[in-house]
Amino acid sequence: MSAPSPLPRRFGRGAFGRGALGLVIGAYTLYTLGPFLWLATMSVRTTGEISADHYAWPRPFHWEQFRIAWVDSDFATYFWNSAAVVVTAVAAVTLVGAGAAHALARYRFPGNRVIYAILFSSIIFPPQITLISLYQILVDYGLYNSLIGLTLVYVSLQLPLTIYLLEGFFARIPQDLFDAAKMDGYGDIEIFRRIVLPIGMPAIATTVILNFIQLWNEFLFAVVLITDPDKRTLPIGIRSFMGDHFQDVGMIAAGVMISVVPVILAYVFFSEKLIRGMTAGAVK
Amino acid sequence: MTPEARVSQEGRPAGLAAAGPGTAAAPRARAPGHLADPRRTSGLVLAVFIAPALLIYAGLTAYPAFRTIFDSFYTIEGLERVPVGLANYRALLADETFWIAVRNTFVWAFVAPLLDVATGLLLALALYAGVPFGRFLRVAWFAPVLLSYVVVAILWMWLYNYDWGVVNVALRGLGLGALTRSWLGDPSTALAALIVTHAWKWAGFNMVVCLAAIHSLPSEVLEASELDNCGWGAKLRHIIVPMLRPTLLNLYVLAFIGKMKVFDLVWIMTGGGPLWATETVSTYVYKRAFNWNTFDLGYPSAIATVWFGVVCAAVILLNRVFRARERLEY
Repeated sequence: MSAPSPLPRRFGRGAFGRGALGLVIGAYTLYTLGPFLWLATMSVRTTGEISADHYAWPRPFHWEQFRIAWVDSDFATYFWNSAAVVVTAVAAVTLVGAGAAHALARYRFPGNRVIYAILFSSIIFPPQITLISLYQILVDYGLYNSLIGLTLVYVSLQLPLTIYLLEGFFARIPQDLFDAAKMDGYGDIEIFRRIVLPIGMPAIATTVILNFIQLWNEFLFAVVLITDPDKRTLPIGIRSFMGDHFQDVGMIAAGVMISVVPVILAYVFFSEKLIRGMTAGAVK
Repeated sequence: MTPEARVSQEGRPAGLAAAGPGTAAAPRARAPGHLADPRRTSGLVLAVFIAPALLIYAGLTAYPAFRTIFDSFYTIEGLERVPVGLANYRALLADETFWIAVRNTFVWAFVAPLLDVATGLLLALALYAGVPFGRFLRVAWFAPVLLSYVVVAILWMWLYNYDWGVVNVALRGLGLGALTRSWLGDPSTALAALIVTHAWKWAGFNMVVCLAAIHSLPSEVLEASELDNCGWGAKLRHIIVPMLRPTLLNLYVLAFIGKMKVFDLVWIMTGGGPLWATETVSTYVYKRAFNWNTFDLGYPSAIATVWFGVVCAAVILLNRVFRARERLEY
């Protein structure tokens, strides 16, 4: 080859191939983003306008839809419930998971791999195997229909993935660093706090974002463990709103947009981290 | 520390390592209580690090799982527990709805991953072929993965809406009005409609993984095929797919596991209907446990137990078959 191009990337040959490729790519982009943009336009139109024409451009933009959804339709309550549960659960699962991941990655002790395998294997469990009993257990301990109970369950749901991702990263921190720290008289807790956490920050950030999004979107456990309208998180809040106001397309769209905004923000700022976190372990 | 020093301490109990004199490392342990081998530590330190995770696991995953299995031998209504032996399992064998749910879930779990993985691979190839705005497209195509099932479900219920959903509007626009139907209300199309929605959400995930795998292929092979004037169809069939085999099979298993658990999308979009056409095992367990006019928790526990066994067995089996020996996510 004359030009030292890094890789020969010529799947589509000639103008026809290029054109076909472009067409497919354009169509698929429309397929993924189109529905979402449609939703966005509907969120700033009133339901009356929407039923006149579902595909018209918003004119004018009814931003007050969001205020109505936030204040009158209780989406503020759902939003803050979600935020409280998810932030607490993510903080707890990160701390607990990082501690366990560090011990499993760094120290030799009998049963290390067994503990790792046990913690990790629950990642394939179908949720129903714990769902029904968790419902009974939380009822027994007065944590049913409580945000604290839901938070505890969320910590347990995300723990295997957190340990899996962090253990993999922590195990690659060079042992020399720990040897040197030991010689400088660092204790075990200090090593964790002053070496593992700072160096592991990229991996920790990835798991934080990943856990945040997965819990923000969680539906099954929330719908089983929460019944009180004041304690609903966003996913079940939207769903119940939709059940009560099936025809109110504009207001549902506004509520959905409210629930999606934090995810979009996280994605805009951390798209690379997120993609890497979600696909870790799947690449061979 | 030298490897020999580490080996010399391998055999002794951790608690003695620091006190034991005579090893090469002993003089390096400055403060008492600091153990010589940095790979070892006291049980107390290990407990501080691991105990919280194990407690959470034991209390909120292991105990509930065992309790569900235990409960499956009872009839539980409120506080009343009546042991019934294997009656729940016998009832399960005769439960037609359960078998419909199993069939639907199996169709979904075995067939739909092909759709996901194939779409993902083709998208990855398109990006690999070096289209403009590749970075943007990668981020855009991945975006649906991050949307919650509630959002995806609502969006697609509207897309499938009989009167004004984009599917039917497009069909009418193309003069194919005869093909319009209530996609989610017609038992013959409801399951397929849900599978398409699920694939829409997950194709981006498969695309990103395939793309990473293609980029890690040895470039000499692709260059050689280029010199041999290999068409891209042949290249795909003879080089890329065989070389990506481990990744593709791994993705298949991941998608399979995800679909064996599928609940949210079905529950919101169809509730398992119409006429059980989209009932999955997960939705059926939920219905029997929390949404049925019988309040027995024993029978759904039996379904959950059976399904737990089926999922674990299927995952082990698929791993054996595909020889994907490395670790899996989800």
